[in-house]
Parts: sequence; structure tokens; C-alpha cells
Amino acid sequence: MWTRRISWIGPGRGVGTVSLIIVLTWAGTACAVIPTGNKPIAVADARKGNPLGDPYARVIAMPPKDGWSPEKVVTGFRAAMASPDDPEREIARRYLTDAFAKQWNPKGDVTVYEHGEYEKFSSVQEDEGKARVTLKGDITAYIGQDGRYKPSGGPLNMPFSLVKGPNGWRISGGPEGLVLSESDVDHGYRPVDLYFLDSEWKGLVIDQVRVPIDPTANSAKTAVERLLQGPSSLLKGAVKTAFEPDTKLIDVTTEDNRVIIDLNKRVASDLIGPMAAQLAGTLSTLTKGGWGFRVEVNGESYYSDSSLQIEAQEQSAFDHWMTPRDIAPFYMSDGGLRLLTSEKIGQPVPGRAGEKDETRTYPAISDEKPARVAALSKGGKSISVASISAGGEWQEWATGESLTPPSWDRYDTLWTVNRPNDHTSVVIRHDRYNRQQYRVTAPELDTVYVKSLKIARDGVHVAVVVKDGAEEQVKIGTVVGQGSATRIDNLQSVVQGKAIKDIAWNDGKSLYVLTEKSELLEASVAAEAKPLPPDPRIQSITALDGSLLAGAKDDGKLQILYRTSAKWEELVKDEAGKPDFVENGPTSPVYPLG
Amino acid sequence: MSSPPKKRRRRTLRQVARGVRRRARRAAGGVRRVWRRSLQLRVVTSTMVISIAVVAVLGVFLMQQIISTTLEAKEQAAKSEAQSDRNAVLGYLSRPDADPANQPADSGEALQQGGGTPLSQALDALAQRAGSRYSVIIRNEDRPGESIGTTNIDEASIPPKQRDEMFKKAAGEDSIWYTKLFYKGQEPVQGMIIGTRLDTSGTVLDGAYEIYHLVPLDKEEQTLSSVQQKLIAVGAGLVLLLAMIASLVTRQVVTPVRLARQAAERLAAGRLDERLKVRGEDDLARLATSFNEMAANLALKIHQLEELSQVQRQFVSDVSHELRTPLTTVRMAADLLYDAREDFDPMASRSAELMQNQLNRFESMLADLLEISRYDAGAADLDVDSVDVRDVVLRAVADSEALAERHSTRFDLRLPGEPCMAEMDSRRVERILRNLLFNAIEHGEGREVIVSVGADRDAVAVAVRDHGVGLKPGEENMVFDRFWRADPSRARTIGGTGLGLAISREDAILHGGWLQAWGVQGEGSQFRLSLPRVSGTALRGSPLPLVPPEVEMRRTWRGHMTPMLLPALADGGRDVD
Repeated sequence: MWTRRISWIGPGRGVGTVSLIIVLTWAGTACAVIPTGNKPIAVADARKGNPLGDPYARVIAMPPKDGWSPEKVVTGFRAAMASPDDPEREIARRYLTDAFAKQWNPKGDVTVYEHGEYEKFSSVQEDEGKARVTLKGDITAYIGQDGRYKPSGGPLNMPFSLVKGPNGWRISGGPEGLVLSESDVDHGYRPVDLYFLDSEWKGLVIDQVRVPIDPTANSAKTAVERLLQGPSSLLKGAVKTAFEPDTKLIDVTTEDNRVIIDLNKRVASDLIGPMAAQLAGTLSTLTKGGWGFRVEVNGESYYSDSSLQIEAQEQSAFDHWMTPRDIAPFYMSDGGLRLLTSEKIGQPVPGRAGEKDETRTYPAISDEKPARVAALSKGGKSISVASISAGGEWQEWATGESLTPPSWDRYDTLWTVNRPNDHTSVVIRHDRYNRQQYRVTAPELDTVYVKSLKIARDGVHVAVVVKDGAEEQVKIGTVVGQGSATRIDNLQSVVQGKAIKDIAWNDGKSLYVLTEKSELLEASVAAEAKPLPPDPRIQSITALDGSLLAGAKDDGKLQILYRTSAKWEELVKDEAGKPDFVENGPTSPVYPLG
Repeated sequence: MSSPPKKRRRRTLRQVARGVRRRARRAAGGVRRVWRRSLQLRVVTSTMVISIAVVAVLGVFLMQQIISTTLEAKEQAAKSEAQSDRNAVLGYLSRPDADPANQPADSGEALQQGGGTPLSQALDALAQRAGSRYSVIIRNEDRPGESIGTTNIDEASIPPKQRDEMFKKAAGEDSIWYTKLFYKGQEPVQGMIIGTRLDTSGTVLDGAYEIYHLVPLDKEEQTLSSVQQKLIAVGAGLVLLLAMIASLVTRQVVTPVRLARQAAERLAAGRLDERLKVRGEDDLARLATSFNEMAANLALKIHQLEELSQVQRQFVSDVSHELRTPLTTVRMAADLLYDAREDFDPMASRSAELMQNQLNRFESMLADLLEISRYDAGAADLDVDSVDVRDVVLRAVADSEALAERHSTRFDLRLPGEPCMAEMDSRRVERILRNLLFNAIEHGEGREVIVSVGADRDAVAVAVRDHGVGLKPGEENMVFDRFWRADPSRARTIGGTGLGLAISREDAILHGGWLQAWGVQGEGSQFRLSLPRVSGTALRGSPLPLVPPEVEMRRTWRGHMTPMLLPALADGGRDVD
């Protein structure tokens, strides 16, 4: 018996092992490989940007084919011009005759058009191996070599002459430079905001440019490379950059939620902060604030003992006007200046400025503590300034025949324009304590009538409304230099052919324009003016970082409106707590600066 | 100039090679020896070899499965994505207002509807959908400007062969290629291309649109290579683990076996109290138990035998002693009878003589028995004195003169001129020599007996050579056995008790010396006694040859006659080398 039992132990164990293996195998196959249950992961809610660029589609340049008609050859040439693949446009040149290919220069200004079509009746003149194709359309803009996008108008009339060679039609004559449709520009260029520094290295100035897409580099790299090349012609001389002139970008990569910028040299030690602000600002549209930065030099950490880390959040402190917060608007009511509290109730400001005084209009608030208010008085013959503090008294700063409403800049200097007659304007700048007043050199404004002048919060951009004869237009230019060397330059028309009632800077990039017909436009140097939902009651506007307020008049009663996404709503509550239009109610809203 | 160093280098190289070969051979020999001797090594090695094979086969199979599953899944996903992308593109292209055929020249018109040609709109949508997962290229070689790719894919990635294959296939059929994908400004990565001609049947579009989906598989490759690495690591670990297990298991078996072997060796060496430790109840424990039982039985038997032999020795000794007393009486009576034999009749006189003779023999036999029993009891001890061996030899020869004369045998003494002093018990040595001389005379058949004495720094030796019948092969040792007889039929003419040589050998051993015999049938025999000069030191060699010099010479002479060409040639060859 026992021996039998013993002799069975071995095989019995074997059976056990086999069954164990079978059970395990079964368990392995039957149970889910991917575990069930949850795994808590803290996910940042904010949608993070992609500094390496969002996916895009690009035209691939193709060489011409033998049997193509002249129109097809021109179309192929246009596609090859639009292709970002080769910056030298080697494939596009293959559409050209050898002689024309030698003289054709794709590096000049880019002409941007829309509504392009070939002139139908004259397009085919294929006798004797010659043809002519004319591209017609509307010019919308030019893109300069420095990436500056200048909206423009006018008809496009581009004749291409072709000859028939052994390999089919080739272009023997055509326009200089690239001719691209708006769609081509959308696909081949990327709008980039370059951040530069104002003359005091304290403020950031945005330079809006278009950068050609480079398939061999990521978006961040192209942007930083463009930043290192310096400002566009609009801001040349008016802004500064922290980088040395021959600084080169080695690469931009990402690692661990951080964008790593590898430069070939360091900046001056006191300019590290400004450099960080410039980089963070330039890449902010790509990173959407979700990424930090790290600057390296030749692949090594910036400092000998530590790396240079830049946190996106901290950079907003560099220039508080870039992301202004908790700034309450002022307005006039019943002849006195009021500050709008967070309960949407007006509160008279301390000092004389808060007292009833019907003569002062068009207030402008400075960026000081305590702030000062400047106002036009005596029917435009004088500008007075009062401190918004207890005991602040009005002081007369400027007098003239006809002054424009005052405008403060971020250096606490006061700007106005004196217009002795309809075709003479003198731009005046008062220094901080009104000790000095300078005449600003502005050759383009000397012989026109300046209706209004507003300095942007970046201290560099300036918007003027000029009236030359009967035509009014809004121009944006730049302030170059300080003190007596101040100059207004590079004026570029952004709104034409409309009677202008008021302008207000939103930020360093966009300007709100209110026309006499109560149209509201958002103008910019780098884009066509965009219409916004209007309201016929609006009399004046002010804006700050997306918040647009308007002083409105309805049936003689006044109120301040604010713009929500689609419509205008009343803002200021009266004593009864109701936001209604009232007699002698709130009017002339104004944010500091702008 | 350059030739000598070259030569030297060559020689050095060759020497190095030879050295390496020699070392390798030695190592191989060592390994082979270890391999032959170690059961554990063999088991571990075979386990490792087998497990490596199994793990390798399993690993390759598993890896292949993982690769094909991964790629298949990816391929399926990419195919379905490509299908939906194609539908989307077809939707964009066949919008009635966006048919490029209607506006062959105008890419700007479509701006009003939202930017770009229908194709670029489609690609925009595809680029958004694809993200960085894959790239899309659409081409229509017949139409200018209708070649669009997403992001930074390089159209050079598409192999021309795939294009050819695609055009052979029907529209809408995928052709999948695995190839390297090139990106502008990036390293090329391994990837997959799904190329399809757009199926435009039922629309007004021409059929020359090619759509390529380029799916990078770098992540898959990373995953797969990391899986592969892990698999290899796990496999290696598994093999090592198995080897360790095998080593452990075999050690459990081998260690007791080794212990048993050692115990058996010690047992064989005579340590009968050697026992194995018994642990547990398994097979090895039972083996140890059996071993122990065997050892105990063996020890018991040996002990019994020892006791028996002790009893026998004691018996012999006692018998000898007990016989002595009656023998003395018998002797005295016999002496009386012998002395008075003149008075007896011849018959009785002859009997008295016979009795006297046999009594002499009996007495000497009894003495020898007593002597040998003393040796067996370990009671023999030496009375050491420094003496000249020549004197001892001369004394022994003088004692043998009478017998020699009787056998008409002549002695030839070859003694060295100077004294050969050695520490010895001269009485015992004399007895040995006497014994040897008596034997030589007895078996010398009347021929000359040569007695030679030799000496060197450490030892002295005496050789006794006769020219009698000699010894048969194998008898050289048997002659020293007790009561051994070369020819049982031969009569004993001298008073040989059959114990003489045995006692002589015991005497020689007691001196720490050797007593050896040499003999060839027909050549006679030689007995050589070698003794250390100083008592108690070990003997390393003998001053005299065991084989007589003339016999040795004759043998060498015969050897010279034999041609010894081969070894000579071999030696010569090595010299040349």
C-alpha cells in the first residue's frame, strides 16, 4: 500500500504542476492584459500650446510637365512660388526660360492678392510659340523682406509672357519678386509677434511680422531666429533688443515641458531679464503660457553653475501693461471725474479733479501713483493737469490755438498737438513735471490737420487721426527718441476714407477706431481693419487689453457701455443700483494711458 | 637591415603562437579534466545549453508575434484612417462649387469660401486630423500646383517602386510599403507608407490623384526594441536562474556523493571508523546508511580476522614455547642416545643419528618460529652499533665455509679496500648474510658464489650472487614468503626451515633497509641487502645494482644491436628545428 502511495507521489506532483501551468495560462489569456480601474493623473486643464508648431499643409513644388498649356505653366509657377520647400525657389526657376531665370529675383517684396484670375480673352496667343497670360486680381498687401506685412489696395495686373521651348512652355517675362494669393500666404507664412524693448529697456514692444514657414525648422525656432534678426522697418530705431547683433540661434527643442533655446552667445548680464521677457513674449503665442523656457549657450547651461530657467508666469511682471490687471476705468459724470469701482458704481476721485467743472473735457489718466489727470479745457485752448489725490489742484500745462485731447505715455510725459490752422500741426511733448516742453519732429504731420494723437501703452506706437483736406485717415507710427530729439516716424495708414470720431489703443498691437457714422473698427499695422459690432449711440471709446468701453448718448441721456462678445451693455449703476441712461450721466470713459 | 628584426619578429610571433597554443592546450586540458571530474559542471552546462536553446526559440517566437501584432494593429489603424481621409478629400474635391476643373487657373477665387483651393483645404483638414501621428501627401502630376504635403514630410520618402505598384493596382486599393521616411530638418525614421490612387469613379474628377499616408513607426520601433531588450534581459536572467537552480539541485545530490566518495577513500586507506552523516530519509540518506552498515560490517570482519590472526600468532608462539620444554628433555635423552650410538646395533645407531639430525632441525625451526612470532608481536628490537660491514661479511662467510666445502662451492669476495662503517645490529645482519650465503650455496649447484660489498655516502650494500637455477619471473617477491619453496619436490639438504628469508626481510625492514632479490632462470640469482649508514634514516638508493653488472651489460649490448633509428631521427629532427 505504502510503496504504492510513494510511487505515485512523483507523477502526482507532475500532474499538479501541469494543471497549475494550465490554470496560469488560462488566467493569462482570459484576464484582460490592460488593467481595469483608474489611475489618478493630475492633468493641467489649460490647453497647452505647441511650441514646435501646429500641423500645417504646404504646397510641394513640382517641376513643369511637357504638355501643359501656358495657363497651366503659370499656375504651376505660382504654386512653386508658394512652396516653402526651397527658399531659393530652384523649382520655380525651372518654369522660367534660362534668360529670365537669371534675372528673376524672388527675394524682393511679396505681392499679395486676392480674387486672382487669368484674363480670359487675351490669355492665349499661341501663335509662333509665344503666349501671354495676364493674372488679374486685387492687391491686398505687400510683405517686405523683413517680414513686415503692409496692407494695401489696388488692382493686380500681372502679365506673364511665355515662349515655347523644346520642353513645352516656359515663362520668359513676368513680375519681379513673388506673387502670392492670400491663401498661399496663409499656407506659406506664419504671423509672429516679435517682442522688443522700448528705449528704457523696461517696456515690451510688439513687432508684428510674417515669417515664411520653414519645413526644416519648428515654429519656435523660426520665431526666435526672426527675433534675433531685429525689428522690422516699422520699429527700426524705435526699439532695442537685449541680444548682441551677431547672436545666432543654434536650435530650439523641447524637453520636459520646457522650451530650450540654444544660443551661441550670452547677453550683457544686466539684460538677462529683458532677454527673458523678449523670448517669453515672442514664444507666448506658441506656448500659450503652458511652457517654461531654458536658455542655453552652445548647448551648455547659461551660467557656469546653474541653468537659466524662465517661467512664463513670472514674465508678465516685466511689463505690467502687457497683461494689465485690476485697472479700473475713470469717467466723467456731472462735470467731475469718477473712478468706477468693482461694484460698478462711480466714486468721485479725490482732489479738485473730482469736483464739478463743466469746462474740462477729454480726460487722460497717467500711469503714476497717485495718477494725474489731464483734460482739455477752454474749448481746446488749454490743457490742465491735476493730481488725483487729496488737495490735487488743476494746473495749466499747455495752451494753444486749438489743442488735441491730451495723451499720456508710459514715461509720464504728456502729448498734445497744437493746430494753428487747418493745415498746420505742431506735436508737443511735455516732460513729467512740465519743466520742459518739446516740439516733436513729425515731418509727415506738419502740413496736415491732426485731429487726435494717442500714444500706445508700449510708449513706442503712436496713432494719429489726420485730416488732409476733406479726407481723414488713421495712421500708426512710432515714437523715436526722447526729449528734444523725439520724432514721429514710419507713419502708416491703417484706416482711410472715413470720418473719425475717436481712437483708443487696445494694446500695443491694435487700435480701436470709432467713425462719425458710429462704425467701430479694429485697426492694426499688420492687418486690414476689422469691423466690430457698432452701436449708433457711441460717442467716445477707451480700451484696455480687450476691455472696450464706450461713452454713449441716447436722447440726451448718458451712459457708459461695455462690449460683450456680441452686443453692448450698460455698465455704470446709478444710485438706485440700475444701469440706465441718465441726464448728466457717466460719459467719456478712460483707462490710464492709451 | 630590416630582415633580422623581421626574422626575429617572425620567430617571436611563432613563439607567441606556440605559447598561446600551449597555454590553450593546457587550459583545454584543465577544462577537460574539470569537465570529466565534475558532475555538477556537466549538469549545469547541459541545463544552460538546453535552456538557452529553449529561451532563444521562445524569445524569437514571442518577439515575432509582438512585432507582427503591433505592426498589424498599426497598419489596420492607418488603413482605416487613410480610408476616411480619402473620403474627406473626395468630399472636398467634389464640392460642386469647388471643382478645380471649373477654375483651372484660379486658386484665389476659393478664398471667399474660406481660403485656398479645395485640395489645400482638404489637406489643412487632414493636417489637423493627423497632427504628428502621420503625414499626408496628395499629388496630381497632371495638374499644376496640386501637390500638397503636410508639415515637414519630404516627398522623396515615397519610393518610385511603390508608385509603379500603385499605378498597376486599381484605384482605391492600398499598397503598403515599409521604408525610411524623410523629413525636412529631421533625422529619417523608419515608417510605413500607404499609397492609394483616389477612386474618383462617379465624380467629374480625373483619376490621377495619388494619396500617400506616411506613418512614422519610430515609437513602435522604440517600444519593440525596448521589449526586445527586456526580453533578452529576462531570457538571460532566466537562463542564469535555471543554471543556478541546476547548480543548487546538483549540489544537493553531488555533495553527499562527494562526501561518500571521500569517506570510501578514507575507509580504503584503512580508517575503519569512518562514517557518513545521515540526514533525512531520502535516497542519499539511505545510501549513507548502507555505506555505514557496510563500513561497520567491514570493520567488524577485519577486527575478527585481526583477532583470529592474533590468536593464531599467540598460539604459534605458545606452541613454540610449550614445545621447548619437552624438546629439551627429548634433546637430552637423544643426546644420551646419540653419544652411546657406538654401543648400539647399526640399526639403532642409525636411528639415533637420524633423531639427532631431525631434533637439530626441529630446534632451529622452533627458534625461527619464535623469532618470527616476536616480529609479528612487534617485540623485536635492534641492538645498534657502528661496525664495518666487511667484518660482518667475513664472519658470515667464515660460518658458511663448512657448508661451502660440502657443496664444493667457492666464494668470490669483492670487498672494498676501506672500511664500510654503518650503524646496525651486527648479529641480525650476520644472520641475514648467513641466510643468503646458505641459500646461495644450496641453490648454487656448486658454482661460484660472488659476495660483493658496496658503499656510498648514505648507504652500504651487500650482494650475494649465485649461478644456480635462478628464479622464475614473479618469484622475486615470493621467495620472502614464509615456508615458500621454489620446488616443493626438492629436498632440503641444509637446515632450511622455510622461514629464513622471511626473517631476513623482517630484519632488513627493522633496520630501515631493503632486502631484494633478482633472478633469471638459468642465469642464477642475486640477493641484495641495502642498509642506511645511519640507523633511522630513510634509504634512498643502493650502492650496488640489483641486477648483476655483467647481466646488465649483456642486456645493453643486445640493445645496441637493435637498430634504434626512429628515436635517433626524432632527436635529430628536433635539433635541426
